[in-house]
Amino acid sequence: MNKIIIGDHLVKSFGEGDEKHNVLSEVTVEIKEGEFVAVMGPSGSGKSTLMFALSGMDSVDGGNVFFDGKNLSAVEEKELSDIRRTKMGFVFQQPTMLKNLNILDNIIFPSMRDNRKNVANILEKARVLMKRVGIEELESRDITQVSGGQLQRAGICRALMNNPKIIFGDEPTGALNSKSAQEIMDIFSEINASGTAIMLVTHDAKVAARTERVMFMRDGKIVSELKLPKFVGTDIDARVEEVTAKMREIGI
Amino acid sequence: MNFRIIRNDILKSKAISFTTMVFVAVSAMLVSLAAILVVNLSGAIDTLMTQAKTPHFMQMHSGEIDTARLTSFAEQHTNVEEFQVVEFLGIDGAQIMLGDQSLANSVQDNGLSVQSEKFDYLLDLNGHIIHVSDGEIYVPVSYRKNNATEVGDRAVISGKEFIVAGFLRDSTMNSTLSASKRFLVSSNDYADMKNLGSMEYLIEFRLKDFSAIGAFETAYATAGLEANGPTVTYTLFKLMNAISDGMMIAVILFVSVLVVTIAFMCIRFTLLAKIEDDYREIGVMKAIGLRLSDIKKIYLSKYITIAATGSIFGYILSLVFQGRLLENIRLYMGESENASFAYFFGIIGILLVFLAIILYVNFILRSFRKISTAEAIRFGTSQEKSASAKYFSLSRNRLFNTNTFLGAQDVLVRKKLYATSLMVLVLSTFIIIVPQNLSNTISSNSFISYMGIGNYDMRMDIQQTDNISEKADYILKTMNSDSSVSKAAVFTTKTFKAKTEEGTEENIKIELGDHSIFPINYSEGRAPTEENEIALSTLNADELSKKVGDVITLVMEGKEKNLSVSGIYSDITNGGKTAKAVFNDHTADVMWSIISVEFSDKSIVEGKVTQYANLFNFAKVSAINEFVSQTFGSTINSVEKASTASVAVALIITVLVTLLFMKMLVVKDRHSIAVMKSFGFTNADIRVQYISRSIIVLIVGIVVGTLLANTLGEVLAGAMISLFGASSFTFVVNPLSVYLLSPLLMVCAVLIATIIGTSNAGKIKISEHIKE
Ligand SMILES: Nc1ncnc2c1ncn2[C@@H]1O[C@H](COP(=O)(O)OP(=O)(O)O)[C@@H](O)[C@H]1O
Ligand SMILES: [Mg+2]
Repeated sequence: MNKIIIGDHLVKSFGEGDEKHNVLSEVTVEIKEGEFVAVMGPSGSGKSTLMFALSGMDSVDGGNVFFDGKNLSAVEEKELSDIRRTKMGFVFQQPTMLKNLNILDNIIFPSMRDNRKNVANILEKARVLMKRVGIEELESRDITQVSGGQLQRAGICRALMNNPKIIFGDEPTGALNSKSAQEIMDIFSEINASGTAIMLVTHDAKVAARTERVMFMRDGKIVSELKLPKFVGTDIDARVEEVTAKMREIGI
Repeated sequence: MNFRIIRNDILKSKAISFTTMVFVAVSAMLVSLAAILVVNLSGAIDTLMTQAKTPHFMQMHSGEIDTARLTSFAEQHTNVEEFQVVEFLGIDGAQIMLGDQSLANSVQDNGLSVQSEKFDYLLDLNGHIIHVSDGEIYVPVSYRKNNATEVGDRAVISGKEFIVAGFLRDSTMNSTLSASKRFLVSSNDYADMKNLGSMEYLIEFRLKDFSAIGAFETAYATAGLEANGPTVTYTLFKLMNAISDGMMIAVILFVSVLVVTIAFMCIRFTLLAKIEDDYREIGVMKAIGLRLSDIKKIYLSKYITIAATGSIFGYILSLVFQGRLLENIRLYMGESENASFAYFFGIIGILLVFLAIILYVNFILRSFRKISTAEAIRFGTSQEKSASAKYFSLSRNRLFNTNTFLGAQDVLVRKKLYATSLMVLVLSTFIIIVPQNLSNTISSNSFISYMGIGNYDMRMDIQQTDNISEKADYILKTMNSDSSVSKAAVFTTKTFKAKTEEGTEENIKIELGDHSIFPINYSEGRAPTEENEIALSTLNADELSKKVGDVITLVMEGKEKNLSVSGIYSDITNGGKTAKAVFNDHTADVMWSIISVEFSDKSIVEGKVTQYANLFNFAKVSAINEFVSQTFGSTINSVEKASTASVAVALIITVLVTLLFMKMLVVKDRHSIAVMKSFGFTNADIRVQYISRSIIVLIVGIVVGTLLANTLGEVLAGAMISLFGASSFTFVVNPLSVYLLSPLLMVCAVLIATIIGTSNAGKIKISEHIKE
């Protein structure tokens, strides 16, 4: 299968002089098309930094990122934006919504930038997605008038609007209670089943257990990896046990 | 501790602190400049008029004079301190050569005088009384500006050669608004030339008690003394000396009020934004029990630092610029005796600005009390509600592209935030347009109609000669047969006796003729049309205490004639005390006649003036635009300077405020910007959004500002113009500059400022604002 993303010996450091420290030290990651992976690790181990580097939102100090065969380090800001807008989707822990816009507008605004002529199609697509995640009633609500879980679903709809090749989720369930978290994971599984690759950063073994491959990070390095069979809705407890066992083994 | 917090805070928000400081500095500078100028101007005028011993009452007279009778009047009148008759030998401008420049085109009545004996001295540029030697001539200081004559030049007057020995200040005729100009020569030279010009007398009095001038004027008129010419009093001399620079000061004051307002708004805006940013911290401080007054002190000291620094800079700037603005005052009137006073008043002006700012900051900080600890800690901000956002939904937008829409929507949702910047743009537009309109108006031909002069192209004065009526008729006939003349009219001025309230008699000069041909502007009422109507100049109306509709009684050959006042107008000609009527009269002698002429083709005026000047050598022929530029030239110049300065000030304000505002917005919006970028909006997209915001606010600002300028601004400018005595006032607008050039300048200023101000948006790292 083709690799959608390759991170090749990525180095990223923050600070200057004495304070300088590597947050990513020579990290190499590959994600295949349609793959569902999770990244786990203690706080500050560099998970978010890795994800931002892979998606081109943050530059790297060493190594290269290849997205769909293209070297992101060599690409202009404009083209990077284009790639993010047309081929990637993002879901963050906090609802990153624009305050001025209502739920529907928040979902469609990235698509509206390019395809204003096709408003009808965009709206139809947004409504289908909202229905799929169960927030179709909320489209004209203000973002302050809905719950955190509902906002997160809206965020997922927004990430899916452009039929991305990959969705990045930085602790997308981190701010939710476990029931909401499971519902969101159901949606992710469904999205993945339709062929979209997903990369999730998470603290939660239950979330990681739904994926096919879990990478464990510590101090800016991937220290271990756990492969799981594709999740088909069964054995969740056994999978969770397997993930937690691995976490104990490497001391996370 | 306090000091470090303040210093760090100011350094952290360099742009904002700096801009605020600039506004404080500019406000302080303007206020201080205005104070310095006012003190200097009034001081310089006082000094000049004291040194020169300006007459309290001056009656110009041409014709026979009975000096003995005047002397005995002066001796008998208890209030007279000193009395003298000064001779003024009128010389035709064409007969005066200064260096290689001829005064042929001068609209002034130029003439020779000798140094006065008792008072009304002609002073040199150091303020000393001039003692002139034979062969020397001193030239009125206004020719130093206009003709660039230099000391040492050769001057030829009616064939006699002089050396220009220096320039003179004439406290009565310095102003270009005054129609006559005195050249000073020695008594011997004067005696030689006495029959080469037309003699006019200046009958001058100094009074012991100037406040009784009214009684003196009445007594003079009642005594039936020489009165064939304008009458001018000390007050009018003072006004004439003040007016050019007074206009400039008025414009500076006007701009300074606006800039102070803008400084206040800047402070309000940055302070509110800062409080909003610090909302959570303030809440926490409150929660852990810090006293509100302590927190307030931190903010307040920051603004005290900024305001104090700004004020000091402003003061220094005002000291730097004062010289340039004082140039005119210094040249025409000399140094003020209380110049050091001026600096003191400048400081007082600045202190006032400083105090006002501190009080204002204190006032804004009252909103601290309203901060709820709980809300501050939980939400971090006070929640702005966006009710109107619903009507502007992206999903329903078909009109704008998405970036423009997002920009426009932001303006609509956060109206309060943009209101401040809107106000500034409105004010800037106002500051750009009003002085421009004012300057355009007073330099336009029609402006003189506010000054008691009709809108014609050429005037011919017949004065100090015999058979004036016949000569006037002859000229009129010639005019009527000239096909290039579209309108011509004769106005004849005669002196009549008017009865005052107290039953005494006073001289009144009335200009007779058809006043509908070249209408002037009336501040009240209208032109006289009936035999029994009369219009009065403002000064005359004030002195006679007459209003429109009142009746005035003239005494003609012993018989009384009642006239009702049909209108009041302002007038700067002939000492400002004039009247207009249409009745026929054969009782009084003609003092002078004016023939006003309009040509159908304006381009030939100059040629016609030369042609008729040669043809009618008994008349003084002048082009009216020449008259305007020579009479109002320095006023127009001052106002033009001030208006150029205002445009610059307004543009700087616009750029700075927009810069400041955009920088703050970017900081406030960093999260939204990061979100948009994470979803693939480019830096260019973000820039377009901010430009749309700016342009929308700017368009509203320009429209509102222009409307205000043409309504409120006109009223304000009218008030300024009323220094001249006019009240009903409309702008003459130069549409190209006001409706095209000025908005374009604003657009450029705002665009540049927006692009620079939002350049930081490109540097916002997505990861730093959304990463968990
Ligand atoms: N913009 C930044 N400037 C300085 N240090 C940073 C920045 N972003 C992250 N770091 C540091 O990098 C390390 C990894 O951060 P991050 O990738 O957010 O960790 P994780 O997501 O695994 O919790 C942390 O020690 C953090 O302090
Ligand atoms: Mg993280």
